[in-house]
Amino acid sequence: MDTLVEKLRATLGPGQVVSEPEELLVYECDGLTHYRHRPRAVVFPTSTEEAAEVLRLLARERVPLVPRGAGTGLSGGALAVGGGVCIELARMRRVLKVDVENRLAVVEAGVVNAHVSRAVARHGLYYVPDPSSHGSCTVGGNVGENAGGIHCLKYGTTTDHVVGARVVLPEGRVVDLGGAGAESPGYDLLGLFVGSEGTFGVVTEVTVRLTPVPPSVRTLLADFLRLDDASRAVSAIIAEGLTPAGLEMVDGATIRAVEASVFAAGMPTDAEAALLVELDGLEAGMDEEVERVRSICTRHGARSVKLAADEQERKRLWAARKGAFGAMGRITPDILIQDAVVPRSRLPEVLAATYRIGARYGLRVANVFHAGDGNLHPLVCFDSRDAAQVERVHEAGREIMETCVRAGGTITGEHGVGLDKSDYLPLVFSEEDMRAMLKVRAAFDPAGLCNPGKIIPVLKGCGEARAVAEVKSAARGTVEENGSNGKPAQLKVEVNAASSNVLTGTARGPLDPASALAGVVGREHVGAVTTGGDTSALVAEPATFEEVCEVLRLAEGERWTVTPAGACAWLDAGEAQEPSNVILKTTRMARLVEHEPADLVATAEAGMTLADFNRAVGRAGQWLPLDPPGADVATLGGVLAAGTVGAQGFGYGAPRSHVLGMRVALAGGRLIKAGGRVVKNVAGYDLCKLFTGSHGTLGVILEVTFRLRPRPRREATLVARTRDPRALFEAARALAGSQLLPVAVEILSPPLAEELGVIDDNDFVMLARFAGTEGAVDYQLARAAELVEGVLKERATERVEEDEALWARLSSTQSRGDVPLEWRASVLPSALGALLARLGNYGRALTWHAGAGDGRLRVFDDARDVEQALTNLREMRRAARSLVVERAPDELKRELGAWGLSESNTLLMKRVKEQLDPLHTFAQRFDFKF
Amino acid sequence: MPERPTQLTGALAAEASRLLACVHCGLCLEACPTYVQTGDENDGPRGRIYLMRAVGEGRLALASETFTRHIDRCLGCRACEGACPAGVEYGHLLEAARADVAAGGRKAGWTSRALRFALRHVWSHPARLRAAFALARLLRDSRLPNLLLSTKLSRLLPARVELSLALLEGSRASNGEGAREETAATSVEAEVALLFEGCVTEGLFARVNRATARVLEANGCGVKSPGGQVCCGALHAHAGDLEGARKLARRNVEAFETEGRAPVVTNAGGCGAMLVSYAHLLAGEEEYAARARDFSSRVRDVSQQLEATGVRSAGPGAGEVKATYDASCHLLHGQKAQAEPLRVLGRVAGLELVPLEGADVCCGGAGVYNLLETEMSSRVLAEKLKHVGETGAGVLATGNPGCHMQLAAGARLAGMKLRVVHPVELLDESYRRAGLYRKR
Ligand SMILES: Cc1cc2nc3c(=O)[nH]c(=O)nc-3n(C[C@H](O)[C@H](O)[C@H](O)COP(=O)(O)OP(=O)(O)OC[C@H]3O[C@@H](n4cnc5c(N)ncnc54)[C@H](O)[C@@H]3O)c2cc1C
Ligand code: SF4
Ligand code: SF4
Repeated sequence: MDTLVEKLRATLGPGQVVSEPEELLVYECDGLTHYRHRPRAVVFPTSTEEAAEVLRLLARERVPLVPRGAGTGLSGGALAVGGGVCIELARMRRVLKVDVENRLAVVEAGVVNAHVSRAVARHGLYYVPDPSSHGSCTVGGNVGENAGGIHCLKYGTTTDHVVGARVVLPEGRVVDLGGAGAESPGYDLLGLFVGSEGTFGVVTEVTVRLTPVPPSVRTLLADFLRLDDASRAVSAIIAEGLTPAGLEMVDGATIRAVEASVFAAGMPTDAEAALLVELDGLEAGMDEEVERVRSICTRHGARSVKLAADEQERKRLWAARKGAFGAMGRITPDILIQDAVVPRSRLPEVLAATYRIGARYGLRVANVFHAGDGNLHPLVCFDSRDAAQVERVHEAGREIMETCVRAGGTITGEHGVGLDKSDYLPLVFSEEDMRAMLKVRAAFDPAGLCNPGKIIPVLKGCGEARAVAEVKSAARGTVEENGSNGKPAQLKVEVNAASSNVLTGTARGPLDPASALAGVVGREHVGAVTTGGDTSALVAEPATFEEVCEVLRLAEGERWTVTPAGACAWLDAGEAQEPSNVILKTTRMARLVEHEPADLVATAEAGMTLADFNRAVGRAGQWLPLDPPGADVATLGGVLAAGTVGAQGFGYGAPRSHVLGMRVALAGGRLIKAGGRVVKNVAGYDLCKLFTGSHGTLGVILEVTFRLRPRPRREATLVARTRDPRALFEAARALAGSQLLPVAVEILSPPLAEELGVIDDNDFVMLARFAGTEGAVDYQLARAAELVEGVLKERATERVEEDEALWARLSSTQSRGDVPLEWRASVLPSALGALLARLGNYGRALTWHAGAGDGRLRVFDDARDVEQALTNLREMRRAARSLVVERAPDELKRELGAWGLSESNTLLMKRVKEQLDPLHTFAQRFDFKF
Repeated sequence: MPERPTQLTGALAAEASRLLACVHCGLCLEACPTYVQTGDENDGPRGRIYLMRAVGEGRLALASETFTRHIDRCLGCRACEGACPAGVEYGHLLEAARADVAAGGRKAGWTSRALRFALRHVWSHPARLRAAFALARLLRDSRLPNLLLSTKLSRLLPARVELSLALLEGSRASNGEGAREETAATSVEAEVALLFEGCVTEGLFARVNRATARVLEANGCGVKSPGGQVCCGALHAHAGDLEGARKLARRNVEAFETEGRAPVVTNAGGCGAMLVSYAHLLAGEEEYAARARDFSSRVRDVSQQLEATGVRSAGPGAGEVKATYDASCHLLHGQKAQAEPLRVLGRVAGLELVPLEGADVCCGGAGVYNLLETEMSSRVLAEKLKHVGETGAGVLATGNPGCHMQLAAGARLAGMKLRVVHPVELLDESYRRAGLYRKR
């Protein structure tokens, strides 16, 4: 017998290893049957520890591996290319913990998506991401693909609902990524991991965010005789500022197939398109929204618009939608399901093109898709027994992809790249972009053993040939490839770019930095920061991306260190450090590049301030709902580099969740692009997540594309005040945990409340902001006041209608002390009260504010007594999930560390940094040495 | 995908289009009890279909250990059909695969050899079968199995023998009564139904057949039991003996042609599903195809028939009785009787019906599966009993003798106090309490 198999059996026990070649047959493909690669063995770990042991064994033996959930993936992701071992998570299917109060659940990776919602249903909660395969796909597989679903339009994809993951790295080391607090400092490794398609390691446990089941849901079915009309209705619904929970389209061919299946739901079979629109939220204002949707559909030619009469009918409609792909099996032996995203405004033309292309190749095309996201799923029907057809299918598929990309779209919105689309990746990413991705991959998987052969095609003509190591798996060739019409099993990974051909610090003759920089950006755009008479840093202000790159090339050659900066409001973030040689300011790059109101998408240069940006997009009634610290002056680049969540992050999400794409200059002046310009995109690794919150240590953010929101029709704030902080906290928690939907529930200490001009006596204050339609806000203000006064047992609330300035003042709060000490901490919301209590008398005399909904605390103090401050902060850090020292005297930072990172995270962060910035051109704000 | 010659000439080859209907989406995985247990794709519907395809493509030998093992391990519950959007008729595929395996002359273990012997030489002959059931009843009613089980002496026997005893014991009337000779006092007889008795039902559950007749009559439907009817052939078909099944099918089609187009009523989900599939089974026979189609279209479960006649409810109740319902897979997926049995139970006076989680999941009985694949069967059963326990119900209703015995045996071996009944038994009892019956 295969000695590896023997060792696997010895590790796990024979019942957990499948190795008969014939039994491995069924593992040769996933939901996409075009590719077949038989694994060498399949193992079924039942715990993280078992998985780790297997991975350690495989690492020792240099055998590749591939994680697998239910194998419903549609991009060939879970196949063992090159005879690897398949790590099957299906036996890890326990829901480990449900934390109702904090709305979290910890589940094993093999838990089936739908089972999460089922397990928490009795608490009135659910797990939002609901791919059509939710009845069988696993949470681990969802993390692998960053799966979407019909409710992603309003609520986001898997990445927005996963807060922590336990991961076994390919070397067998177990790390915990993310964390359950509002924030986990350091690089967003979790955000990077989600959607990494099993190439970064095996996730064994996932902490997911649960969402309250909306009190009111309405589902409408609109049917059209012309497909075009239906797509125009979709654009119109979005453009008019409605945010349905789901907005799906089913075309005529699909309707007829579904109606012939077990999932028949009564859709009119003579229609050419049907839209399923789901609205959810509070009952207040719901009918108004239903009417708006109805009238938009009717205006665009809907023959009828029907409201699902009851929960049963609603479920039937969605079951029909979810069974649609399978139902097509009735009319065709094989289907190629495509997955591309286009800007919503381009839907009509692209949709028409898919049918045209199909017709040209003599193939039948059907469409059933997430219309609201512009996420198309053209289904190309064929018969795999006909070789000529198979050929044509691939050509048609490629043409459809190219059409979508030309329309400004991307090659996959949720199914992933896997094996199927790696050839298409160059349609959207340059070699440089992909090389950066490979480097990040090498940080997680230096030996190249984890799901090799996926996502990124073998790069040709790679300039840094010496830095490229070809991964040769010890196993390759021992197992015959079945029906091997797959891709080459080789993958090139850059293991260490540090040995690349950059200047290695050899003397180059002294170069005057100031004039060198002036040569690039112009003399008037070079300045100096002086401390005590010495020039400690030069400030350069380039005007173009090319100038930025030139400065970075110069810096690399000269071994200068560079600190990217926006408004220069927070240059001392992170660990105490030597000042950089060059401060690279983005402020001259401040254009709004593009704003497409119909798509709710805008692109701007990083030096534009958040305020200017919002003024510009505000003209179309849209905005970027961010209120990070320093929002009054911050540039977009700065906001993202810091990645910090503000008070309204509770309702609108953190900065990371608004970013669709970026352009970034890496060390050495290499310009790359990450993400794209459409609202849903899983092509390649999500490097946007990596740069968000990286504090300029990995690159200079040059340009950002954001997902915007329609400006709410009304915003208003309920102010509650009391002397008793404990009662106020209880009231705030009750509000955050209620069925109301506040966008922020913030508690203010008396000094801060006074500073903001809310009150002038010694009360603690709670600010709860509501946004939405007239009626919904009204209703919520009234209910919230009732609720809060019920807890406080006094009439202690008032409304503030013109609340804009109030919230702006809150986000621009700064410490006023002589020796500023600013820090922020994050805990589980339920533990916030205890944390506040530790401030000593609830920090009555301190300036602070805290988010009751997300467990965030921000404190402005004075560190005249460093010793005392140290003791306090140490204790607070022990009590909190995380504590970040934002601003403090260097001695304090040195003693305490600014971030308090965990060892395993630090290890990975260090590896990422080494890969992307091996010469340490960018400032070192994180302490990687333990 | 390269073209491959198909090596099949057998039953599976005829099902090629059914195999191709599967688009490999995996939506059926979680519906499958064996996949849920092992997490092994080979033990799921999609995997089994893939194996069948591989056999068809010549990539896997029909007699291979892998193929037979995973086809054997299939419960045949057809829950996967209920989840499949592509409408893959898995039940037919499975039967074809089993037929091919049986014809392929694989080396079978003694249990399946014994089974095949019994099917061929006992089950296909009504007289011999009646004698066999008489023997079984003799053993059961001797209370010897009960004694062995109660004293736990049965633990000393091989597990399968102990299970067999428990199964047999499970068929005993839970209230200790046999089949009563009564008839409904008030019959209008607007319609006549033809009762398909079923060999196991008539052999071990005669009381259920009698109750079925009474309940139908009490609701105005006359009942006749055509002579010449034989075993439905389900066990044959599931064991891969399609020819044996066809023989029986032809005889039944003939037997039920005497009364015009009267409905054929069964109270056994397993038989019912088989009778419904005669249309498919005999589709290739010139002489029988049309007749089988007609026959199959007339088949309905007793609950479905009651739905047509309307069900009366008659009090008083028997005090606080909490009951739950477990769907027989074949009743559910073969005969598509989902709501009807529940509605019948809803008409039982004084019954509190509580829902059972996973009521639509197989109990692991699956004909003689429990004796052939004892380990997997007991894992599936344990899951079921756990859910039953959670309901707190003292009565469990189910509409198929195989499930009935499996559940009763499982409860017995697990030391659970549980009364297992057929839904019509409960209705029947309530009618009796209400005085609707008189002695014959
Ligand atoms: C009918 C149908 C409908 C679908 N609808 C949708 C939809 O609406 N939206 C959508 O997004 N997708 C959809 N999909 C695609 C698919 O279901 C999703 O991609 C799903 O997330 C895959 O989950 P899985 O458990 O089957 O993963 P698999 O297919 O087994 O694996 C998917 C990828 O994740 C990796 N992976 C799996 N488990 C782990 C783990 N524990 N750790 C690390 N990596 C892992 C694998 O290596 C592989 O690259 C659909 C598929 C089908 C067949
Ligand atoms: S649900 Fe149907 S089509 Fe999908 S894999 Fe299962 S049998 Fe095949
Ligand atoms: S019949 Fe039952 S056991 Fe067999 S594959 Fe289908 S669901 Fe699984």
